[in-house]
Amino acid sequence: MFYFDHSATTPVHPSVIDLINEVQKDFYANPSSVHSAGKKAKAIIEISRARIASAINAKPEQIIFTSGGTESNNQVFWSMLNKSKPHVISNKIEHPAVIKVLKRLSTFNLDYSLINVDENGLISLDELKSHITDQTSLVSIMMSNNEIGTIQPVKQIVELLKDKNILMHTDAVQCFGKISIDVKILGIDFLSLSAHKFYGPKGLGILYVKKRDTINNLLIGGSQEYGLRGGTENVASIAGAGLAAEIGSKNLKKNAQKLKELKTYFIKELEEIYPSAIINGHLTNSLPGLINVSFPGFRSDILMTKLDRVNIAVSSGSACGSGSIKPSSVLSEIGVSEKLNQSSLRISFGSTNNLEEVKILLKELNLILNN
Amino acid sequence: MEHIAVGISGGVDSAVAASLLIEKGYDVEGIFMKNWEEDSEYCTVEQDYKDALQVCDVLKIPLRSVNFAKEYWEKVFQYFLEEYKNGRTPNPDIMCNSEIKFKEFLKYAIDLGANKIATGHYVRSNILSDSVELLKGVDKRKDQSYFLHTLTQKQLSKSLFPLGKLNKAQVREHAEKKGFNNFNKKDSVGICFIGERNFKNFLKDYLPSKPGNIVSEGGRKIGTHDGLMFHTIGQRKGLKIGGGNGSNSNAWYVIEKDIDHNELIVGQGHDHPLLYKKNIKVSKIHWINDETKKSSELSAKIRYRAEDQKCSITELKDGQALIEFEIPQFAVANGQSVVFYSGEICLGGATINSSY
Repeated sequence: MFYFDHSATTPVHPSVIDLINEVQKDFYANPSSVHSAGKKAKAIIEISRARIASAINAKPEQIIFTSGGTESNNQVFWSMLNKSKPHVISNKIEHPAVIKVLKRLSTFNLDYSLINVDENGLISLDELKSHITDQTSLVSIMMSNNEIGTIQPVKQIVELLKDKNILMHTDAVQCFGKISIDVKILGIDFLSLSAHKFYGPKGLGILYVKKRDTINNLLIGGSQEYGLRGGTENVASIAGAGLAAEIGSKNLKKNAQKLKELKTYFIKELEEIYPSAIINGHLTNSLPGLINVSFPGFRSDILMTKLDRVNIAVSSGSACGSGSIKPSSVLSEIGVSEKLNQSSLRISFGSTNNLEEVKILLKELNLILNN
Repeated sequence: MEHIAVGISGGVDSAVAASLLIEKGYDVEGIFMKNWEEDSEYCTVEQDYKDALQVCDVLKIPLRSVNFAKEYWEKVFQYFLEEYKNGRTPNPDIMCNSEIKFKEFLKYAIDLGANKIATGHYVRSNILSDSVELLKGVDKRKDQSYFLHTLTQKQLSKSLFPLGKLNKAQVREHAEKKGFNNFNKKDSVGICFIGERNFKNFLKDYLPSKPGNIVSEGGRKIGTHDGLMFHTIGQRKGLKIGGGNGSNSNAWYVIEKDIDHNELIVGQGHDHPLLYKKNIKVSKIHWINDETKKSSELSAKIRYRAEDQKCSITELKDGQALIEFEIPQFAVANGQSVVFYSGEICLGGATINSSY
């Protein structure tokens, strides 16, 4: 298979698989147990916590393991119900794990505003500012969009919020290993990550919390994770996530450079084979390796099926429970017409892709588009 | 070997259709259609998709996805609303076959490189030297030719119906033997996009309801209705007409909708003469095979799961025709289809506009 859907998920790194298998096999004890085996399991978790902390320039005690990006986001938002100021600001192209949570929380007296994005998918700092009230407790703006890759000015937002006593969260699930994430430089309060997006296991999320007293637990139970996330830890996946983070952070520059080159090459060659193709989102200020492109005159589901037949995996729009595609709300928000919306594909390269594979993708696209 | 795209719905029929084609040696690809956008507890699409995936996994065939929600909305649902607005009774399943399954889906499959499509309908096709006939399914209780009477020669020549010679029990047995999760899944009934929910509540979300009076055939007011669109000719239940209004203890039936006066006209007893009509005026006549319409043995039915009844047809001007039945027909609803047969052969059909 030629896999170009790394924004959906990534293949697990072979060393990570080995580590996960080893932990599953040999370190099955409950990390809360006081016997040696339990302490060993606990130590494995703490090694992983330190690895992840180091990868984003945090302290280990600022890292909480969850079940995924969705849970990390949920924990931040549900915690806002306990704040005296019940208003949250986000934007219209966030992931459903933000927008749908806010919608639900609005039934519990939490008020929220979703600000617009421009035709490149960028929010406006002025518009954000105009929505801040003395009731605002949190601003949540994703670091980069999962469909079009546009990178938001997170650091500038944090600066804007300075001295306003407003917390700032960013969903950085798409970013780890592709752009540098330094929570100190960003000055952010909360940041969500998901291991399976950076060659780690599925079902393992990370929540960076600058100050633990700004947050409450979502899953109530045992005293694991500083009392902020009950439930016996997923030790093997936690270990895998730590190693994946270490590898990702070590190879960040090299990987980002490679993804950028593949993207540049793809876009340049695509102009040759299908000049009317339209790139959606920001051309430069976007994630390396992610391309959202519309092919006027073609339905995306037919393009995807034809590519699928020659073992090429890409994605389109937003997938739903029924395995089909609905028009992307992100593309609608940035003003892409309905027609072009339904002709769009998302191609996301990853660290295992190479130029040869991209050439095969272009060759197959050429056959489909020009026959 | 021919490449066949099978519309896999997640139900047992299309699953077995695909399985039978594979057994015959065809190169089979499954395609799952999504025709309705909705995230609600009433929508079974997610479960259907999961069942479809399991079936294709067992059969070791790929399952592709396609979304025709926009086309369905424009061509089927708008027609459905329009008909109700005009006091008629639409048949969205027939429209879905002609506009979506055997038009958009067929086009999509051919575009993907399929030679033909196949579905899990209980009908047969009979290939003659220069044309194709549509025959009833062998399982008389399941025969679905009523819903496929709008098919053209071109559509029929590109379609396979592997279940035509089987009965439902055989299909379920095949599915169970294969290990399909859906082998005993309940047959879908009613209108697919409404599902199990209350029809009235659904329709109310899309059309303004105009309450009015229920009157007896003599013109006496005996109740009220919430809107003519919620009622069909021949309906007995849910009229809420109290006792003491009638001249006998027989149940009340809807016998007519008076659109101009927004009145629902009712009468007593299943045998009420006004519930039976011998003559039906139709339009949008479609013949599957041109020469067969001259068939002397013409029969027709005015609803799915009815017996064919002997009739004759006289063409009128402006594409209209008059169907005269030998025996009066119960509860003829405008907007529904009358479908013509000659024995086993489905000849075509037309849309009912009036009856007397």
